[in-house]
Amino acid sequence: MTFPLFGNPWLHGLVAGLVLVLIVMGVAAYAIWYERKFSALMQNRVGPTEVGPIGLLQPIADGLKMLQKEHLVPTAADRPLFLLAPFLVVVFALSTLAVVPFGDGLIIADLNIGVLFALALASLMLIPVWMAGWASNNKYALLGGMRAVAQSISYEIPMLLTATVPIVLSQSFKLGDIVNAQANLHWFVLWPVGPGAIAFVLFMMTALAEANRIPFDIPEAESELVAGVTVEYTGMHFGMFYLAEYLHTLIASAIATALFLGGWDMGPLGSGPHWMILKTLLVFAGIYWVRWSWLRLRSDQLMELCWRWLVPLSLGLVLLSAMWVVWA
Amino acid sequence: MGAWIAFLVIATVLLVGALMVVSARDLVHTVLWLALSLIATAAAYVALHADFLAAAQILLYTGGVVTLMLFAVMLTRRQSGAQVLIDRANGGLRAALLAAALLGLLVTATVRGTPKLVAPTFNVDSTQALGVTFLTRLILPFELLSLLLLAAMVGAIVLARRDGKGVKLARLAPRVVIGQPHDGGEG
Repeated sequence: MTFPLFGNPWLHGLVAGLVLVLIVMGVAAYAIWYERKFSALMQNRVGPTEVGPIGLLQPIADGLKMLQKEHLVPTAADRPLFLLAPFLVVVFALSTLAVVPFGDGLIIADLNIGVLFALALASLMLIPVWMAGWASNNKYALLGGMRAVAQSISYEIPMLLTATVPIVLSQSFKLGDIVNAQANLHWFVLWPVGPGAIAFVLFMMTALAEANRIPFDIPEAESELVAGVTVEYTGMHFGMFYLAEYLHTLIASAIATALFLGGWDMGPLGSGPHWMILKTLLVFAGIYWVRWSWLRLRSDQLMELCWRWLVPLSLGLVLLSAMWVVWA
Repeated sequence: MGAWIAFLVIATVLLVGALMVVSARDLVHTVLWLALSLIATAAAYVALHADFLAAAQILLYTGGVVTLMLFAVMLTRRQSGAQVLIDRANGGLRAALLAAALLGLLVTATVRGTPKLVAPTFNVDSTQALGVTFLTRLILPFELLSLLLLAAMVGAIVLARRDGKGVKLARLAPRVVIGQPHDGGEG
């Protein structure tokens, strides 16, 4: 798909983008079902069972329920910002899809700066989150927004630095090139031994922090902030925040797979988009596993972890990988 | 044709955003309009094939500077959601003079040289060229700039020190622990 569809880049972007967005929205909706089943299994419960076989129609029922609910805008809220925030959250989360490589040439836009594009959009995500917190005119929402901003500007730094490791090793910003440099099981998580694996773990940590997932979900800590920035949102507006969180996690897993786990490559077992999708879903499941196993960090611990450990460590990793490229 | 349409759209968004930055009355809206015009600037860079510059623009300006501004807004006001209005009654004359001077500069520049609205053609990848230039021909200014930034960072830390060994100025600034309500939960 590097060759634009029908020879027209505008049409190519429109068609490929629409198809991918619809597929990923469906996957994200079922990711919610999957998480409910997964967490139920971990806690010796059964999870959703009533709607459809083994609760498979639950996401559709949830969606319909949200659509029917009344939209409420608090009287004292900043109306335009309040209504804009949920849309922007979803738009920014979905835009990253443009650079996710699914297979050799199966990428909507193999930008020269693919990795940076994804990270720049991740950093934009916090503007609508903050907007929601501010516009709600609610102290819990505002505190949630404030924590989200503090967390994002801190964790952005180690995220960029750890993403630099595969960039240095493959000497390209293009996600397509980065995956190609890992062909035949030369995945950066395995080789060079050490920096790649540590960088992968750190990248996942920062991605979780950016997506506000446990153990880094202090911006929406329900026990102290009710629900953080989403506290005043009802119906589908809340649904969009909820969906965006899953989209963000899903796309972060895909980017991590492309950066560190060899993307669509599976060594002797061949290569293809199915491996990319499988690995992404495995990383995604790993995130759930972490989420339902760990506790939430306090916000000062969160900041300390980032500035005292993640930033110096990731700087060291960049240095190590640069040395590897020059001398090995 | 496509590039022309893209330019028109980007320029319109950029100008509307910039206009709203100076005319919006709510401080928060001003900051958000600024974010929009910065994103539009990044889009203009993309249209000129300066991809790396566009990414850096979003990461540093929208992701960094605007975020810091939002943070500052949140930390300096007391009541949540109360509008922070900008007083534009004063300084109108000075602003008009500045605007006139800037307009004069722009007009002179446009009259003297033909404005170029077409993207320069690169034989090489602009990102790569940028990297190579920074580490060869421009290595000295590049390193000097890093040193300057380092000095600024150290300065910021000295100002923000909590143990009293810092500069006196630190006592004037409100001490805020991130993530904890600092004004007794008033809201």
